[in-house]
Amino acid sequence: MNIVVCMKQTFDTEAKIALDANGKINKQGVSLIMNPYCEFAVEEALRIKEKHGGEVTVVSVGGPEAQDALRQALAMGADKAVLVDPGMEEVDEFATATILAKAISGMQYDIILGGFRAIDDGSAQVAGRVAEILGLPVVNVVVKLDIEGGKAVATKEIEGGSQVLEVSLPAVFTAQKGLNEPRYPSMKGIMQAKKKPMDKKTLADLGLDAAQVAPKVKVLSYFLPSARAAGKIIPGEPADAARDLVKALREEAKVI
Amino acid sequence: MSEPLMLFDEVRDAIVASGGEEIQMCMQCGLCTGSCPWGRMEEKAEFNVRAMFHMGRLGYDGYESDDFLFACTTCNQCGVKCPRGIKIPNVVRSMRSVICETGGIPKNLKAVLGSINSQGNPWSQEKDDRTAWTAGHDVPEFTPDKEYLLYVCCTSAYDGRSQKVARSIVDLLKAAGVSFGIIGNEEKCCGESVRKIGAEEEFGNLARHNIDLFNKKGVKKIITTSPHCLYTFKNEYPEFGAEFEVVHYSELLHNLVSGGKLKFSKPVAKKVIYHEPCYLGRHSRIFDAPRELLGAVPDLEMAEFKGNRDFSMCCSGGGARIWMETKAGQRFSDVKVKEASESGSQVIATACPYCIVMLEDSLKNQNKDEEMSVKDISEILKESL
Amino acid sequence: MAKGIWVYVEQRDGKVKKVTYELLSAGRKAADSLGEELCAVLPGKGVAGIAPGLGEYGADKVYVLESDALEQYTTDGYANAVAALAKEKEPSAILMGCTVTGRDLAAQVAQKLGTGLLTDCTDMALENGQLVFTRPIYAGKAFVKAACPEARPVMATIRPNVLAVEGTQAGRTAEVVNVTPNAGDIRQIIKDTVLQVSTRPELTEADIIVSGGRGMKGPENFKILEDLADVLGAAVGASRAAVDAGWKPHSFQVGQTGKTVSPVVYIACGISGAIQHLAGMSSSKCIVAVNKDPEANIFKVADYGIVGDLFEIVPLLTEEFKKIMAS
Ligand SMILES: Cc1cc2nc3c(=O)[nH]c(=O)nc-3n(C[C@H](O)[C@H](O)[C@H](O)COP(=O)(O)OP(=O)(O)OC[C@H]3O[C@@H](n4cnc5c(N)ncnc54)[C@H](O)[C@@H]3O)c2cc1C
Repeated sequence: MNIVVCMKQTFDTEAKIALDANGKINKQGVSLIMNPYCEFAVEEALRIKEKHGGEVTVVSVGGPEAQDALRQALAMGADKAVLVDPGMEEVDEFATATILAKAISGMQYDIILGGFRAIDDGSAQVAGRVAEILGLPVVNVVVKLDIEGGKAVATKEIEGGSQVLEVSLPAVFTAQKGLNEPRYPSMKGIMQAKKKPMDKKTLADLGLDAAQVAPKVKVLSYFLPSARAAGKIIPGEPADAARDLVKALREEAKVI
Repeated sequence: MSEPLMLFDEVRDAIVASGGEEIQMCMQCGLCTGSCPWGRMEEKAEFNVRAMFHMGRLGYDGYESDDFLFACTTCNQCGVKCPRGIKIPNVVRSMRSVICETGGIPKNLKAVLGSINSQGNPWSQEKDDRTAWTAGHDVPEFTPDKEYLLYVCCTSAYDGRSQKVARSIVDLLKAAGVSFGIIGNEEKCCGESVRKIGAEEEFGNLARHNIDLFNKKGVKKIITTSPHCLYTFKNEYPEFGAEFEVVHYSELLHNLVSGGKLKFSKPVAKKVIYHEPCYLGRHSRIFDAPRELLGAVPDLEMAEFKGNRDFSMCCSGGGARIWMETKAGQRFSDVKVKEASESGSQVIATACPYCIVMLEDSLKNQNKDEEMSVKDISEILKESL
Repeated sequence: MAKGIWVYVEQRDGKVKKVTYELLSAGRKAADSLGEELCAVLPGKGVAGIAPGLGEYGADKVYVLESDALEQYTTDGYANAVAALAKEKEPSAILMGCTVTGRDLAAQVAQKLGTGLLTDCTDMALENGQLVFTRPIYAGKAFVKAACPEARPVMATIRPNVLAVEGTQAGRTAEVVNVTPNAGDIRQIIKDTVLQVSTRPELTEADIIVSGGRGMKGPENFKILEDLADVLGAAVGASRAAVDAGWKPHSFQVGQTGKTVSPVVYIACGISGAIQHLAGMSSSKCIVAVNKDPEANIFKVADYGIVGDLFEIVPLLTEEFKKIMAS
């Protein structure tokens, strides 16, 4: 069973988001982590490997700093890592998926896993696009995955419940919270990871040119939410206060 | 059949390379485990110092979790007993740093590091709100003509409960006529607990930032509100070239009282039991100052825990445990509160913001917050001014 | 030349999701400005009856894709059918609701059409003749405005409840165009579907959270919070004190050592606002506190607060919310 995991490095959840002088998201002084949903995907890949044998390859599109996240995956137990540095200012989901699919197309795979979304841009579409490019079926937001004899039975979340689907392999699955509890890398795993292959590639190495990965989506601007106004204590008798609060939430804060 | 255990020397080499060379001195006698508070809890804990050293040395898997490697509160109760004189918390720190480099630390701690990196404090609070605790209170700003910088721990800067401690300390310093001021929003966390997570890079960034800032502002002497800041400023910042004179506020106040510059006159007729902060007592050897300060308060009746000074039990908040979950039945602070209550004390006094958080939490969980309270000694002293 | 703004009609068992009407309303305005037609795309089985009525919400035309193969939503079936039609008709835009289904479908269709997709949008506007979308990033800590300048159709999924349903015209009907859909090879075989009645959303995914602390006094009293949560479609959370007391399981805990949440609205009842609690929820967009202690720390971070007895206030809030949710 050969498993490929598409993994993204993201800002950590506590990151304070600010804009730089060019109005772009400021990346200075922010901790980078493995996207938590991708961590579920890595963990699931390792569990499948432990049960059925095979090899786990983790692929990421990103700058050199993404090696840290790949190394974490290797320390957790993945066998190989591939980093494609697109060397471009802006990549959209179309570009990322094109690059990932191209990198994966040269590999052996039965299962491709990814996080169902990344916590930074939350776009939740890259893995689906990879599936489409490679001509594979996709099952998103998976909370349970069983592999048996060339088939997978996956439980996915749907609105108001869950659904059990069967697909033939190879197939793509995206991990939702609840799929598993990711392991910590062991000290030994960390040492072993240092000797595992980390393959660094450029677009040219994959045989892609700039036109093939030109983004479809163009960012016009970034902005921050308006600053918090000072808090208000709603005065009055309980009934009046409750009424005024609900009114304020709807009409002033416009949140309900 | 079980798999054979393979030795993996590189793990030991990595621990040694990150400053844990003393792991090789261990003779596996187990006195550490015997003295560890985890072993004295109602509910059995997985954590075992001796076993961890053994596994680390031989490169075995299986101790790199919330409940094992990251369970240690670095209270150093074991270090006091170790016949080989090993600085056990330092070995723990170096083991954690090997893990931390790869990003595999406990989830809660990742958020802490994220907050440290982007906000300069571990509590996910806005860096520009660092001086919010001073609102409505006259707190002098540090200028080069001031003798001391008052460095307020992130916890006392941001936690509503702990902010009261920062204000009490300010009032006491003012009453004693100490020349001091605060810097505030430009400061970052001292990094003591950050280093205990194993986050060497983040710790280095914090230390360099603060040292630069203090030097730029002309700081020579620092008063800390927390024993943790005291510990790192005194023992770890010099590695980065710091040359400050650092005191915990309790030491300074103690000197002022001895010199007759500060007097407590209002009686506080309560039975007060003193909980020893590990980083003030065992780690910094300041045992008498807080006791003598409390002793200087008229009508105050002092009580002691059975284990005190070098044998005092930790609150469970050190070593970054303050940001991690500890199961009920395994919380050291619960045991302390129970003992305090049995002693008939009305107040548990301490001198560390972490201890206050932990003890107060236990007080609430045992529904004893009506009959007893947790106070920083500065709050009691202020009451007695 | 690409023409027509399309709205994907999300329905289950013949009941149309409200977000569809929201998209039709917004799409209507855009279509008028651009001088294009607004089309609804309705895949399913036995759904034709819905079609004409979509005119009331602004659709000029409804493509009905009736097929046995589309009786239930499957990724392949729906994506194949919608993409095939789009390839033939070449619309300029396709809008879908950002629901579990909309998200799933949009990515596949976008890639089949080789176009750009903006997901999870909270606003849509026309700027210089171009559709521009706003979407939150970094869990709402920033926003990005983006467009798809060349590739067509531009695709977007838009969150439910962010666009208003307006300008409906009773009796206006849409032209119904029946299309024989090409659902293609459906590789996801449905084995089982389990629907739970009225499940509350998961804490970390919820838009609204109603949380209770030690001020709740006992487990039985969480009922009043649950009633409020159900009116709002909210999740229920708790402080660690409430969890430690055994009133709620650990999975409900919000805070440093529980869950980190950033909902649109966080309603804290009988919670003092300890720093560990704040660490888990202070990035919520709007914080509401109900506490009898005017000095409680929670009021320092609250956008709105009521000082009072929660046992009195919370049921009143439930009643007030009921009134406005109905209107
Ligand atoms: C290691 C550690 C980790 C922790 N992690 C977390 C965490 O993840 N999440 C968390 O929440 N806490 C956490 N805590 C606990 C935290 O320190 C506080 O003890 C806890 O948040 C307090 O919960 P509370 O606000 O419900 O209770 P209290 O602080 O007791 O507050 C109860 C509030 O209810 C109000 N009240 C009482 N009756 C009424 C009434 N009838 N009407 C209106 N108001 C009323 C009171 O005025 C009071 O403000 C942690 C603590 C430690 C030590």
